[in-house]
Amino acid sequence: MDLVRHLRYFVVVAEELHFGNAAIRLGMAQPPLSQRIKRLEEELGVPLFDRSARQVRLTEAGRLLLGESREIVARVERLRELARHGDGGVLKIGVPPDLAASVIAALVAGFRAANPDVRLVPAEIWTAHQVSALAEGTIDVGLVRHPVAAPGLDFGQVLVQPQGVLLAGDDPLAEAGEVHLTELAGRELLMPPKEGEPGWHAETLAECRRHGYVPAQVHQGAGLGLVLAGQAVAFGPKADVPGLAWRPLLGSPIACRVSTAWRTATGTRKDWVAEFSAVAVRTLKESAGMTDEGAAPARRISRRPGMLA
Amino acid sequence: MSDPDYAALFRMAGVTGWLHACDIDSGREAGHDADEPVPLASVFKLPLLVEFCRQADAGLLDATAPTTVTADRRVSGPTGLSAMLDDVTMSLRDLAYLMMAVSDNTSADVLLDRVGMEAVNTMLDAFGLDGTRLRQSGRALFESMELDTGHGWPYLDPDDISRLRVLDPARTNRSTPREMTRLLSMIWRDEAATPESCSWMRAVLNMQVWPHRLASGFPYDDVEVGGKTGSLPTLRTEVGVVEYPDGGRYAVAVFTRSSSTAVIQPRADAVIGTAARMAVDHLRR
Repeated sequence: MDLVRHLRYFVVVAEELHFGNAAIRLGMAQPPLSQRIKRLEEELGVPLFDRSARQVRLTEAGRLLLGESREIVARVERLRELARHGDGGVLKIGVPPDLAASVIAALVAGFRAANPDVRLVPAEIWTAHQVSALAEGTIDVGLVRHPVAAPGLDFGQVLVQPQGVLLAGDDPLAEAGEVHLTELAGRELLMPPKEGEPGWHAETLAECRRHGYVPAQVHQGAGLGLVLAGQAVAFGPKADVPGLAWRPLLGSPIACRVSTAWRTATGTRKDWVAEFSAVAVRTLKESAGMTDEGAAPARRISRRPGMLA
Repeated sequence: MSDPDYAALFRMAGVTGWLHACDIDSGREAGHDADEPVPLASVFKLPLLVEFCRQADAGLLDATAPTTVTADRRVSGPTGLSAMLDDVTMSLRDLAYLMMAVSDNTSADVLLDRVGMEAVNTMLDAFGLDGTRLRQSGRALFESMELDTGHGWPYLDPDDISRLRVLDPARTNRSTPREMTRLLSMIWRDEAATPESCSWMRAVLNMQVWPHRLASGFPYDDVEVGGKTGSLPTLRTEVGVVEYPDGGRYAVAVFTRSSSTAVIQPRADAVIGTAARMAVDHLRR
């Protein structure tokens, strides 16, 4: 018999103390589960459960073996994990929660292809929280939005993603080819949380003011519900969301700048961090339409005499 | 009858506004924060014009005397001599015309040198307009913006804007909406200078070229609108007089500050006309 598998069944039944529930958790029918527990009891020569009462209980022997069984199951799982990932290295990364799922998937896949030995563990956290997570060592490398000021951090190549505007499908501007920021007047704006993206907040809102758009209210959040409801607009890369329209912004005034970030004193993981940075640059260019940060062309400001006299 | 909701009107246009309007003949008035000190921007050219006329009336200067403005005396600006390249010779009163009709900064500073800033302030004191004060020439206005921000035009950064002395009534040419309508009323009632000079000032004010602010609120062939605009980063203003076909005459002063720093904001320009119209309609009711 496959002892480890039977021990796993035992652990689940012991946790649920209910054969029906345990069977659901294990994704199998109840009769074969009962049979396998019986076979395990025969194999070990002791009863593990007391089925006489209305509720299933662990016997004294069952209690004794439960801890040991858990240990064995966990170790075997870890053994399999190690077998899959060679030396079992783990690189913990932070990514902004509003990064498209497909981009996160491409990052993980791209990194795995280059480093099959290292497991990438992504956590979705905003820039400001990534900065503290990097300082505390909770993550090894982050993908942050600029501007970000943090001593002791090094940054990878900065990439730029021009932002368009997401509008409710029935917004009159949804028909326009391009939208000038000033035409958003009267609409409220949805932004990522200010606490998590302070630099992006300040920069974007200042740019809006420069271009004649001062939102009456700035909502904070990552979901697009308010946009769908027609109560706000949001800036973002081109996206195909049912019920929403995406339009480019005339003159590309709003651009998101991102790069990887890591602690200057990263130590042993330095190679992996460098590898991740390289994969991130490649992936963000391919999957997220980002480009090298060029010198932004100087914005032309009209000198119509009547506006200045 | 309740006062019009000026605040809501200004808010819709993305600005904060200060307004005073009065019937020049009956003295009836309407206002919205009408006694707040406001930066004058190019409206400082109006009291300068009045003192220029008074000195001409008094024989202190000859308004028709040819004056040569050499290219090196140019002051920044988008119009008039400021936009020209070569030496120019014209009479003082033609310089005054350019100063008012197209807000020419170079002409204004030539006249200010001639008339004297303190003479203008003394005249304002004599008129009882002690909330109106000149401190800076056109050149000084531009230079202080460069000093405050460390760079030249354009000024679009909210941080830069908050540092500009030219937007702080305590540190630049200043007045209040109410004092501006009083000065205009004096010109229209022949009290600011001799009747001949007042008549000429009214003609010059009616020759101002800009249609987008005060005049935009009165789009009728038989309504006359004369005035003087003023513009600085986020500041848009016009003070002027509207004359109705039935003889009604109304002095109006509207000052606005926009929350956006964009230079081109047609709604912020137009609300000056809309608010003025609202006030005049209120006075005519």
